[in-house]
Amino acid sequence: MGKFFISCDQASILSTREQYGDLNPKEQFRHKLHKTYCLDCRSFHKGNGKFQRTINGLRWVKLSNEQKSNIKNRIEEAMKEYKRSAR
Amino acid sequence: MPEVKLVPEKWVDRYSDYLFNFTISRVSDPIMAQDLVSETFLAGLKSAHRFKGNSTERTWLISILKRKIIDYYRKINSKKGQAEIKMSYLSGSQREGDWMEENAADLRNPNVEDEIEQRELGEALNECINALPERYAIIFVQKTIDNMDTETICKEHNITASNLWVIIHRARVQLMDCLKTKWYQEE
Repeated sequence: MGKFFISCDQASILSTREQYGDLNPKEQFRHKLHKTYCLDCRSFHKGNGKFQRTINGLRWVKLSNEQKSNIKNRIEEAMKEYKRSAR
Repeated sequence: MPEVKLVPEKWVDRYSDYLFNFTISRVSDPIMAQDLVSETFLAGLKSAHRFKGNSTERTWLISILKRKIIDYYRKINSKKGQAEIKMSYLSGSQREGDWMEENAADLRNPNVEDEIEQRELGEALNECINALPERYAIIFVQKTIDNMDTETICKEHNITASNLWVIIHRARVQLMDCLKTKWYQEE
């Protein structure tokens, strides 16, 4: 029986992992079971889901690999320059 | 707090996307934003000897970037007077009086509102991420925004999968609290 019932700490981690689709069926069952009798964890899970939807809705801008390698090259050049001038 | 050492070789991988998001929400021009990020790293390298290790690398780089953004706006403002003299509102096919309505953003347009809301939310979340402990912020961004797989992140940071989930969980709890005060209350 103890394997089915989990603590609130464990449930909250499972709630987070669920947002990333990381739970196996057993963990999903344990988490669902916990939420049936724990109001706090149910409410936390609801907030966690809302936060995930907020993040998913955001348009994150990222530098392309090419842009990153350009910046890296500039840094490497500058580092070489500083090393040369330090000698 | 243990003394922080600078690792310029890792700056681009660790902070470039974060700094780029921070900049683009303030500058809007992607090319300029990329230049500012790049200049920030170079300025950081130049003044590395002045870094005392009292703050994290990321906080220190953000403080340099903020100064770069202020300088950018100062430069624009110093050119503003010249730009206004050269500007002709009646050039081309525009008739007198048309330009104001056509060129102003229509705030009733749902796309404009969405864009503004997205930008403000992005800024709020960026500020909240910036307030996280550095390790939490990096791991959270890698897993949530960059969608990196668990194994790769664990290898990079030399942690177990359960440690990773605890870190992500704690980061999310802090971010949710932070967003509650910065964003959800204003809704």
